[in-house]
Amino acid sequence: MWLPLLALIIGILFGFLTDFQISDEYSSYLSIAVLAALDTLVGGIRAHLEKTFDDKVFITGFFTNIFLAASLAFLGVHLGVDLYLAAVFAFGVRLFHNIAIIRRIFLVKWTKKSDSTTKD
Amino acid sequence: MNNRMTIFACVTIIIGFMVAVQFQAVSEPENREGRNMAELRQDLVAEKEKQQRLNEELERQREILYQLEQTEDVEEVMGDVITELQEQAGLTEVSGPGIILKIDVAFDVDYEGGAIRSVPPYLVRLLINELNIQGATHIAIDMQRYVATTAIREANGRTLVNGSWLSHFPLEIKVITDDPESMHHAMMSSQSRELFSYENLSLVSTPVNQVELPAYEKDYRVRFMEPVQEGS
Repeated sequence: MWLPLLALIIGILFGFLTDFQISDEYSSYLSIAVLAALDTLVGGIRAHLEKTFDDKVFITGFFTNIFLAASLAFLGVHLGVDLYLAAVFAFGVRLFHNIAIIRRIFLVKWTKKSDSTTKD
Repeated sequence: MNNRMTIFACVTIIIGFMVAVQFQAVSEPENREGRNMAELRQDLVAEKEKQQRLNEELERQREILYQLEQTEDVEEVMGDVITELQEQAGLTEVSGPGIILKIDVAFDVDYEGGAIRSVPPYLVRLLINELNIQGATHIAIDMQRYVATTAIREANGRTLVNGSWLSHFPLEIKVITDDPESMHHAMMSSQSRELFSYENLSLVSTPVNQVELPAYEKDYRVRFMEPVQEGS
């Protein structure tokens, strides 16, 4: 449980300490990639809680989502259509949906636990 | 289970890295100090001059206050102050050494274009700025006294100063200054002279020993000041 959180902090520290710079025009791609990554992560957590987690699906989903989101943004820039909004919308909706399901799973667990403690 | 956590950890490391990089890219400070040493010095000098001006003003006001406190007859001092202020505001006729600038049309041989009806307002403004930089104390444009609230506008292709047309050539601008000779040279070599020539206008300056400037005739429109009633 603590390993991913620790890894997140290490990642952030690493990002700040290496002073890695990207130019302005690529920052929109990176932001959409971040969103895709978060979406995959939350989806993975949900699958883990629902006990349907599959390593391969998770890993491939993570990279293809990032790649597709960035390429969609790229295509949008070259077509002159804000296609990245489509990605933002899709990922945003799915992110919230997954978070809601995760919340419900935790809620069910918590109520079961408290029920059992009150019965005892 | 352990394997799964490792995968999650790998993914979160990547996410963390991306977030950090993105955060750095977004929170990049946008306006940095772009002035170089010379520009900073210039700004400093300008500020110092401003400070000196303010100090002189303060000194003058203190002197007036001291006079008011010392003398029994306040009215005389007040009268002096009012006269001085009126002179500063351009409400009195003034005369003194200065220069006369004559602006006339100057067509070259192959001029093609319409008639020139008046001096464009941006040139008049530029000229006035330049005169003020050179130390002009009083300015009159075509018998219109230039005061603090004078507007130089364009309406219907003609230039208005103080609300009246500048419609004829040559246009005379009278300037009172402490050092007419140096202002004359400064104006003859100024950039505005070149800009006037682009508009097919010639600018000629003549230093004179005595030049008379009319008073400002119109009403001063004071919008944001009110007289203070004593005791109120």
